[in-house]
Amino acid sequence: MAITTANRPEATQLEATPVRPRRAKRPSFVRTSVLPAVGAAIIVIALWQAVVSVFGMPTYLLPSPLDFVQAVGSEAGNLVQPSLVTMQEAYLGFALAAVVGFLAALLMARWNLVERGMYPYLVLLQTIPIIAVAPLFVVWFGSGIATNVLVSAMIAVFPVAANTLQGLKSTDRNLVQLYRMAGAPERVQLFSLRVPAALPQILTGLRIASGSSVIGAIVGEFVAGIGGGAGGLGYVITLDATQLRTPELFAAVIAASLVSLIIFGVVALIEGQLLKRWHESALPTEE
Amino acid sequence: MTTTAPVGPSGTVDRTAPLIEFRGVEKTYSNGFQAVTPFDLDVARGEIVSLVGPSGCGKTTIIRMAAGLSKATSGEIVRRTDELAYVFQDPTLLAWRSVRSNVELVAKLKGVPKEQRRRAAAAAIQTVGLGAFEKALPRQLSGGMKMRASLARAITGAPELMMMDEPFAALDEFTRENMQKELLRLWRTNDFSAMFITHSIPEAVALGHRIVVMSAKPGRIDRVIDSPSPPTKDDAPRDTEALAETARTISVLLQEA
Repeated sequence: MAITTANRPEATQLEATPVRPRRAKRPSFVRTSVLPAVGAAIIVIALWQAVVSVFGMPTYLLPSPLDFVQAVGSEAGNLVQPSLVTMQEAYLGFALAAVVGFLAALLMARWNLVERGMYPYLVLLQTIPIIAVAPLFVVWFGSGIATNVLVSAMIAVFPVAANTLQGLKSTDRNLVQLYRMAGAPERVQLFSLRVPAALPQILTGLRIASGSSVIGAIVGEFVAGIGGGAGGLGYVITLDATQLRTPELFAAVIAASLVSLIIFGVVALIEGQLLKRWHESALPTEE
Repeated sequence: MTTTAPVGPSGTVDRTAPLIEFRGVEKTYSNGFQAVTPFDLDVARGEIVSLVGPSGCGKTTIIRMAAGLSKATSGEIVRRTDELAYVFQDPTLLAWRSVRSNVELVAKLKGVPKEQRRRAAAAAIQTVGLGAFEKALPRQLSGGMKMRASLARAITGAPELMMMDEPFAALDEFTRENMQKELLRLWRTNDFSAMFITHSIPEAVALGHRIVVMSAKPGRIDRVIDSPSPPTKDDAPRDTEALAETARTISVLLQEA
């Protein structure tokens, strides 16, 4: 639309200069995500060093950040093998929990009777302290990887089952009716509607389970840990604790965190890929 | 199933062979709530019947029973077609599927061969003006466009009877008017009957050959009003004064109810 500006000669100049839309500046990932995290780490490390210096803490009680860095440097090679063992146990436990949890949720969503019969025991499974059950697993399955995988799966199965069930039961009622009106059998409703609709909750369950599975594997190793160079990070942590090798213990804890971060990152990556086209949680945010 | 054209160009309706009949239909829920007291109504082939009334008067219960989604406590519903479509208040689209895939959905679930449903869906998408958005996801559409996709899905199966439960209630006034015109255009080109639930008196009057005015507690028919200037297949100009007068009458009836 043209605007008449006959009485305002200065406007001619304005019209001659086209106004270009200013390109919205996207805040960089470094500024929004990396800098705050690095800033927080610097503050924590400074406080840590201050506590060690001011109170003269002995290394076996609280090593300084420098002691810690040195331990990481010297122990890094020794931690690779235990990390791989823990990783194997945790990932197998996670896979087992994902399959069992998903199938259990499918059965519970399909038949109310199954849900009423099974769900209380799933909750019970979650409330039992895992450290108390682990010795029982050692008695049953012996001291080794199998026990640690089962402990890991046991702790990780509940978030998968509970979140999947919640998702399957939250399907839009109108969509369910639409499927029913079209004469779609229950099996089609389940796999064409309920499961895809529940995907965000299923993936949330898997994300929670990914972290839990590493905790489960390490707890299993505390109790059933294998020695002779085949032990995982749980075994290394126990050994370091008993020998008061605190800086090395810190390094092993960091290695355990890395194992968790890898599996968490993989699940988050899959989640982003599966949901990026349609779900609010995976859409880019506008600031 | 082919049908004759029971609604003449002038809007006259042949009621000798109704597509659906409600005979003394009642619905009482298990908690004792009486949703619908004896309800008698016929809907002719090609006729649009608007149902208007306050919340809780049983409008949705009636069309849910007609669609077979809920059972009547007593009475009889005679439906002479299985070619139904249900349009909800929300577009009710699968968020992870494209417009085309959503529009094809019901036909796919009914086992319509791929080529046939592709053609029908493409035609329906063109009809509702979403040709350029076939591959778009629901989140990429506006509210009105989503509702059009929902309408396209409904007409893809060439339904004889459309159950429409406040389909335009969530839209802004401008989009709502456009969608009403869109629906009438679809009705002219596709030979279907419709039971159209709305809270809007002007909408009920604009769309219906008859307007069923209902009241609540318990849900019942207060009055069935023939439109003085119903929609016609040849899109003849309508007597807006007479329609406005009907709207005023319905408004008074609802206030007195």
